[in-house]
Amino acid sequence: MTPTQPAQAAQATSGLDEKALLEAYRTMRTIREFEERLHLEFATGEIPGFVHLYAGEEASATAVCAHLDERDSIASTHRGHGHCIAKGVDVKEMMAEIYGRVTGSCRGKGGSMHIADLSKGMLGANGIVGGGPPLICGTALAAKQQGTGGVGVAFFGDGASNQGTTLEALNLASVWNLPAIFVAENNGYAEATAATWSVACDNIADRAAGFGMPGVIVDGFDFFAVYEAAGEAIERAREGGGPTLIEVKFTRYYGHFEGDQQTYRADEVARARASLDCLKQFRERVTASGRLDAAALDGIDGEVAGLIEAAVTEAKQAPTPTADDLTTDVYVTY
Amino acid sequence: MTAVGIVANPASGRDIRRLVSGASVFPTAEKANMVQRILTALGTVGVETVLVSVDLGGISAGVSRAVRNRPAKSTPWPQVRFVDDDALTDSAQDTANAVRRMVEAGAEVIICLGGDGTARVATAALLAGPGYDVPLLSLSTGTNNAFPQMREATVAGLAAGLVATGAVDRGIAAGRAHALEVRTSERTELALVDVAVSTAPYVGSRALWHPDALTELYCTFAEPDATGLSSIAGLLCPSPRDKPEGVAVRLCAAEQAPTVVNAPIAPGLVLPVGVAAWRPLRTGEQVEISTPRGVVAFDGERELELAGTTGATVRLREDGPLCVDVTAVMSQAARAGLLRASRTAV
Repeated sequence: MTPTQPAQAAQATSGLDEKALLEAYRTMRTIREFEERLHLEFATGEIPGFVHLYAGEEASATAVCAHLDERDSIASTHRGHGHCIAKGVDVKEMMAEIYGRVTGSCRGKGGSMHIADLSKGMLGANGIVGGGPPLICGTALAAKQQGTGGVGVAFFGDGASNQGTTLEALNLASVWNLPAIFVAENNGYAEATAATWSVACDNIADRAAGFGMPGVIVDGFDFFAVYEAAGEAIERAREGGGPTLIEVKFTRYYGHFEGDQQTYRADEVARARASLDCLKQFRERVTASGRLDAAALDGIDGEVAGLIEAAVTEAKQAPTPTADDLTTDVYVTY
Repeated sequence: MTAVGIVANPASGRDIRRLVSGASVFPTAEKANMVQRILTALGTVGVETVLVSVDLGGISAGVSRAVRNRPAKSTPWPQVRFVDDDALTDSAQDTANAVRRMVEAGAEVIICLGGDGTARVATAALLAGPGYDVPLLSLSTGTNNAFPQMREATVAGLAAGLVATGAVDRGIAAGRAHALEVRTSERTELALVDVAVSTAPYVGSRALWHPDALTELYCTFAEPDATGLSSIAGLLCPSPRDKPEGVAVRLCAAEQAPTVVNAPIAPGLVLPVGVAAWRPLRTGEQVEISTPRGVVAFDGERELELAGTTGATVRLREDGPLCVDVTAVMSQAARAGLLRASRTAV
């Protein structure tokens, strides 16, 4: 048969030109490098508080946020570094924040679990499990009322999927037909509790039907699968179609927090790293199809490594807040 | 021992078509209920053992609870053995592993709960080994269901049981369906309904719902009342399942096409599809897929990325799965009085 060449249609399906593919890879690589480095740095004892690493889950934040722009806002979780990076928060400021330095995103007062940058539409990592979805109902309502065409995206985990705040937000978003996207990042465990035990229904996405919205499941290791699902949901929301629940399934590469002994799971991380890694999959597929050159990806790897090295060096050298900073930034006037 | 295998896919009916086309959600609880109704039917016709697949989605857990809590006065169920020999992978491999284990354990019939994709995986597992002559009864719990039947599970269970016990002769009960075989230098895949080629560059979320990206379509059969990509051919040139040929269709953008078909390519999606040409596809004829870059979808799900250097061919095989014909089985049961009892008048 003679092939036809409906190039526009193919573009509509992928929506990713070379520049977009490179950008997606850079974002995923930055998240991975950031988290792998934090895994090492946290062990030195220099970082205050807790860190919860997003390594392994990069495709979710990257593919969803690739569809977002300055009109849009996201709410994150305690495992929020990936969401911050994908929404454009400055990596050096993030690292400084995690080190508790005045050059940080929140002047060193928030730390890992409270990184926020409202100028980027990043409403904050959130130490409250299930704290993000209600915030997104607020931003989505504002976008709808003001007619900006913006959407709100709430990332939350399988543990948060059981929280009343999340379920109330799903209900409200549907009742008010809000441009809200709920991204349930199901990495299998709420801290050490298996989702297969603690989530009463079999898939978090199944809960969508009860709230009158579409619910879909996507492979969280596959950037392209998440990208397509998020693109459809976000486009639908922008056009007034209402909210969507997307369940992204994957495995986190590290424990719930750094220091977690992970006695509750066996070899799934090794299997995921070996055969399901989103970065490896992405690299193999874009180079095999000839869409990107491996050298270009190698170049990004080098640039990102340099960026993270500089971020750590600068963070360590930056000053910590002083006693005079104690009462600043406590109240905000809008 | 007469044994029947039941493999149920927990992932069927969950993909992106819930979002892009409003396709229905098939609840896990209903899948577990269907297995239970099949167990009742199989017990009624004398099947002794039922091999049931295990999963992390809740189907086997639901069946296990039902087995434990079944009231004593209920219709006796066959002995239920869960097939848990292999570690679960949460992928299609679980279906393939379960089917293979069931055949090894002596299953006379495999009942498959899922959509077209599940039936495809079960078929490949059967045809690749000693299950080649084991009949398949595929029930719909998926999205596009051109191949599996929308049937009440109880009746399907009766038919499967009558075949498994030998009460109905296999010559009457089952017939070979056709299948499409796609070969590359690295892999061979089967499709039961259709093979579609799209210029979409990635497997992505698997389903296909942008008709303008379609370039080629091959169908084992084409029914005008089908849902899914085969409906394109079904509305152009119907070709019944028992006809020893399929259909090959060349597609193009609707605005450039000499023929446009408004086809239900997914539940909730009736879209204009541009057709450049179509013709019968003879059994055994090998066609080279001519789209250099894109993806190949089997039974509506993108599976294979064409990298430009990957040559691929498609061929219509006569020896697809041996499928239980429920209507034929139950008709024979009626003729032979297999489910009838006579009582002498007093």
